[in-house]
Amino acid sequence: MTSPVAAAATRPAVRAAVVPPPRPRGRWKASAGWAAVLAVTALTLAPGIGVEVDLGALARNWQNGADKVVALLQPDWAFFPRTVEPLLETLQMAVIATAVAGVLSLPLSLWAARTTNPHTALRGTVRAVLDVVRAVPDLLYAAVLVAMVGVGALPGILALVLFDVGIVVKLVSEQLEAADTGALEAARAAGGTQLQVNRSVAVPDMLPGFWTQLLYVLELNVRASSVLGLVGAGGMGLLIDAVRSFYRYDQLSLIILEILVVVLVLEAVSSAARRRLV
Amino acid sequence: MRDVVVRYPNGVTALDGVSLDLEPGEMVAVVGLSGSGKSSMIRTLNGLVPVTSGTVEVGGHDVTAARGRALRALRGEVGMIFQSFNLAGRATVLQNVLVGRVAHAPTWRTLLGAHTAEDKAVAYEALDRVGMLDRAWHRASHLSGGQQQRVAIARALAQQPRAVLADEPVASLDPPTAHGVMADLRRVNRELGITVVVNLHLLDLAREYGTRLVGLRAGQVVYDGPAADASDRVFEDIYGRSIRPDDVLGAS
Repeated sequence: MTSPVAAAATRPAVRAAVVPPPRPRGRWKASAGWAAVLAVTALTLAPGIGVEVDLGALARNWQNGADKVVALLQPDWAFFPRTVEPLLETLQMAVIATAVAGVLSLPLSLWAARTTNPHTALRGTVRAVLDVVRAVPDLLYAAVLVAMVGVGALPGILALVLFDVGIVVKLVSEQLEAADTGALEAARAAGGTQLQVNRSVAVPDMLPGFWTQLLYVLELNVRASSVLGLVGAGGMGLLIDAVRSFYRYDQLSLIILEILVVVLVLEAVSSAARRRLV
Repeated sequence: MRDVVVRYPNGVTALDGVSLDLEPGEMVAVVGLSGSGKSSMIRTLNGLVPVTSGTVEVGGHDVTAARGRALRALRGEVGMIFQSFNLAGRATVLQNVLVGRVAHAPTWRTLLGAHTAEDKAVAYEALDRVGMLDRAWHRASHLSGGQQQRVAIARALAQQPRAVLADEPVASLDPPTAHGVMADLRRVNRELGITVVVNLHLLDLAREYGTRLVGLRAGQVVYDGPAADASDRVFEDIYGRSIRPDDVLGAS
């Protein structure tokens, strides 16, 4: 065989353009795509008709909606003093719930991950319980807990803790399982118990991810705890429920603004913290 | 090691009747192609890989029968060094070296991070021995490969071990660094009298640093003798093929 260089020297220029291999026929993909679009359209329209979505009502009652929008655009600033206490309560609930959830999630995450808990039965139990915990929505927790321990911040905090533990343990244990196991093997080879291995090697490596998830649930908690009050579980929600039932949309608008500001500030702080952690 | 057989659940036989007597104070180079059973053999010595049949005895203790506390105590006396260093990257160098003290510390001390002054002194001394003391407060992941392997050696030394097992300790390092790390291991062997078993696939390193050479092929010992005497013919026999340029690392 002649090398390409030698061939080019003796027989210059004419080199056929590179011929790509034939593209595999994939017509079924296109038809499947169209079928999916049709199916989604049908699924959207059918129940819409079934539950009587009447777009005409939007047009007929536009005046109704417009009044509310106008009220929402004129926040009642004089209402501010009355919102301070519930707002602080919401923040306190969020911080307390995050702290408690953090203390609970750290060992639970290590128990829920294959790499840091070789004990199959214990791991399965922890995971099964957490699957159940995660399946229940936070508002439902709050409603049940209000019935159990009475109206106030306590049921709200408990509901948030359950909600947070479910999320943090799920995300952190998956992060643990995806991490390199070399350091764990080294600590085991040095004669450590599983507890010692986890504490001395797994914990330092998981901490940045763990803090990131905790900051994330702190943000979620501020949003969620402003709704939990609707079922009597403390915080902003109680106030929201009160002004809404008196149709004070100007006051509601101030509350929404305050939550927005708090969430934005929190987001800025936590993303700054995250940059330093990771 | 007596008639050791290791068969993995997937049916692969890693070790096929290995019998070896390693003397205290030796520097044993174990050579063989990848898949020859080097890693499995070294891991049977501290019980990380369970043997299917046969017995492994280290310092008068039966590794194969040891469980729980006894096994951990035995592992505490045997340091281990890995190809990929296996440090906790987010932890400081000192924290990593203190991992070597786990077998000597009660669990509650490890959990609280309340290391005794003695444990810390041992860790500092181990770091000093590999010339990494000034990096004690650095994050392990911020170090170069050679530095990380030195920290890993310090972690093994912090165990105050009677033997050190090294599984391809220089396979991820460039040639000069590799010689530096091998020289560290030789000093550990000579100055502290610690038995060193080191897996290698490069024949010049095995010849230069080993006092004894064990050749493995397909899970069986095919050579056992002084490392310095091992000719290229011996290596060709161990590898089952002729020597190629990439079987040697090159000059330091």
